[in-house]
Amino acid sequence: MVDERLTRASASHSRFARKFADLLSRWAFMVPAAVLLLAVLAYPIFYTIEISFSRFDLATFSAVEWVGWENYAHVLDDYRFWESMKVTVVYLVFALPLQIVLGFGIAFLINAEWRGRNVVRALFIIPMVVAPVVAGGLWRMILDPLWGMVNYVLGLVGLGPLDWFGDPTLAMAALIIIDTWRWTPFVILTATAALLALPRDVFEAAEIDGANWWSKLWSITLPLLVPIIAATFVVRWLGAVKMFDIALAATYGGPGGATNVINLFIYEEAFRSLRFAESAAMAVIILVVTMVLTALFLRGSRLLEERY
Amino acid sequence: MSTVEIRNVRKSYGGHEVLHGVSIHIPDGEFVALVGPSGCGKSTLLRMIAGLEDISQGEIAIGERVVNDVVPRDRDIAMVFQNYALYPHMNVRQNMGFALKQRRVSRSEIEARVQNAARILGLESLLDRKPRALSGGQRQRVAMGRAIVRDPNVFLFDEPLSNLDAKLRGEMRSELKELHQRLQTTTVYVTHDQIEAMTLADRVVVMNGGNVEQEGPPLELYDRPQSLFVAAFIGSPPMNFLEGFVASGALVLDNGEQLNLPIALPAGDRIVAGVRPEHFTISAEGWPAIVSVVEPTGSETQITARIAGHVVRVLIRGRTDVKPGETIHLSTASSHLHVFDPGSGKRREIGG
Repeated sequence: MVDERLTRASASHSRFARKFADLLSRWAFMVPAAVLLLAVLAYPIFYTIEISFSRFDLATFSAVEWVGWENYAHVLDDYRFWESMKVTVVYLVFALPLQIVLGFGIAFLINAEWRGRNVVRALFIIPMVVAPVVAGGLWRMILDPLWGMVNYVLGLVGLGPLDWFGDPTLAMAALIIIDTWRWTPFVILTATAALLALPRDVFEAAEIDGANWWSKLWSITLPLLVPIIAATFVVRWLGAVKMFDIALAATYGGPGGATNVINLFIYEEAFRSLRFAESAAMAVIILVVTMVLTALFLRGSRLLEERY
Repeated sequence: MSTVEIRNVRKSYGGHEVLHGVSIHIPDGEFVALVGPSGCGKSTLLRMIAGLEDISQGEIAIGERVVNDVVPRDRDIAMVFQNYALYPHMNVRQNMGFALKQRRVSRSEIEARVQNAARILGLESLLDRKPRALSGGQRQRVAMGRAIVRDPNVFLFDEPLSNLDAKLRGEMRSELKELHQRLQTTTVYVTHDQIEAMTLADRVVVMNGGNVEQEGPPLELYDRPQSLFVAAFIGSPPMNFLEGFVASGALVLDNGEQLNLPIALPAGDRIVAGVRPEHFTISAEGWPAIVSVVEPTGSETQITARIAGHVVRVLIRGRTDVKPGETIHLSTASSHLHVFDPGSGKRREIGG
C-alpha cells in the first residue's frame, strides 16, 4: 500500500519532469528563430508604424513626437503620391496579365514533344538568375535610342527610331517589357509543371469522345488549369507589387515620374529627401492595401478551386 | 454496330517488339475478353483499336473500314478507362453529354440520351454531382454512361473493374453482362482477371508475351486448354500439374513414385499430367496424397495435399471429415486428365 503510493508519486513526479524537459527543449529550439523573426521582421514593421505617426528628428534619428494622422494627411494630399500610385497600377494591370498569358501560352506550346525541348526549358531560366539591376542595365543598352539593338531592328523594318526612355508611354512599355522578360520564365516553369501533372487518360478520353485540338484546350486543359493560373497570379502579384530594382536601374522613375512606381517614390522620399515620417506613412498605406488585395485574391482563387 | 478485324498486327517501341503478329476476328455484337498477365500486350492491343497507339505493322478494320490512319474521334468507338478518366470539372450530366456536344447533337437530344443512359445505370439522382463527390462504383457507372450515350460501333473496356473492391466488382460484372445483352454492341474487354473474362465474354482470347496463346468460348478454354500456360491461367484454383515418364500404364514421377493413369499412353514418353482441383475425387484407391491443410467454405472444401512432395489442390463439393496428416487417395476420370508435352508446353490429344 505504502509502496504503491510511493511509486505513484515518483511516477507523477517523473512525468512532470519529463513534460518540463520536453517543453524546455521545444522552446530552446524555437527561441533563436523567434528572436530573429522579431528582430528583423516584427520590429521594423512596428517601428515603421510608430514613425508614420510621429515627427521624425533627423538629428537624433528617431521618432520624437506623436503627431497622429498628420503624416498620412500630408501624403494623401500629395499629388506625387497619387501619380506614383497610378503608375504602379498601370504597370500591374499590364504586366501581370501579360506575364500570365505569355507564360501559360509558351508553356502550352513547348509542352508538345519536340527535340531540344529541354535545352529551351533550361535557357528560359536565365532571365531569372540575372540580378534585377543587371537586367535593368542590360535592357538600357538594348533599348538605347542611338545605338541600341531594338531600334536597329525596328529601323530595318522601317519603324522608329523610338525614344524608349524619353517618351513617358514608351518608358512604361520598356519597364513592362523588362519585367516580363524577367518573370515570364517563372510562369512558364510553373505552367509546365502543371501541364505535365494533368491526367493523361482524361485527354485520351476526350480524344475518343471527339474533341479536336481546340475543344481539348478550351474545355479540358484550361478549366483544369484554372486553380494553378489563379495561384500563379497571386504569387506574381506579390512579386510585382514590390517592383523597385528594375525601375531603379532602367529608368530611375523617369521621364518626369512616368515610371516612378510607388516603392521607388518611397525610397526617394526617405533616403534622398530624408522625409522619413511621410515615407513611413506611405509604406504603411501600401502594406495595408497589399494585404487587403492579397486576401481578396486568395479568397477568389480558393473559390475558383472549388468550382473546378 | 460493327465487326472488328485484327490482321497480323505488330507493335514495337523503338526496335523492341511487344506484339508479334496478332490476328483476331470479332463478329458483330460479340463480347470478346482479352486476358493475360501484365505485360502480355492486351492493353496495347486495345489502345491500338482505339487509335491511342500507332500500329507498327498489320491492319485493324472496324466494319469494312481499315482504321490504321483514322484518328480516334472518327473511329466511332467508346472506351472505358481503368481510372475512369472522367472530366473532373464537369458534373455527371456534362461528362456523359460531352461526346455528343462535340458532335453537335442538339441540346434536347443530348438531354434525352443522357437521361436514358442515367436511367439504365441508376444515375438519375447524381446527374448534377461532380466526379469527386461520387464513390468508385458510381464513377465507374458514369464512365460506362459516357460510353453508352454515344451508341458507338464498338465498346472498349480497359480493366474497368480493377479499382473496385471485390463485392462491387462482382455486382458491376453482372451489370456489364446485362448491359451487353441489352445493347448487343460489339465489345472488346481487357482484363487480367480470368474470372471476369470467363463470366463476361462470349469468347476469350488468352494472350502471353505478345502472342495469342488460345482463343475460344470460355468453357472450351476450360475444358480443352491447348497449352500449359492456358491450363494454368484459366480456372481457379489453378490446375494441378505432375511431371514424369510413362511406364506400364502409370506416370512415374522423378522420385520413383508410380501413379496409375486412367488412359493408355506410349511408354517412355515424358509428359505433364494436369488435373483441375474440382475433378479429383477421394476414393478407396488412387494417387496417394498426404493432407496438409483443409479449408471449408461451407458449400465446398479445399484440401491441400502432397503427392511425393508435390503440392496438389483438391476441391470437393460439400463437407469432408478428412484431417491434416491423413493419407487420401485421389482419382480422376479419363476425360478430366489433361496431358501436355513438357518441352513445347502444347496439349497432347489422347486417342479414344
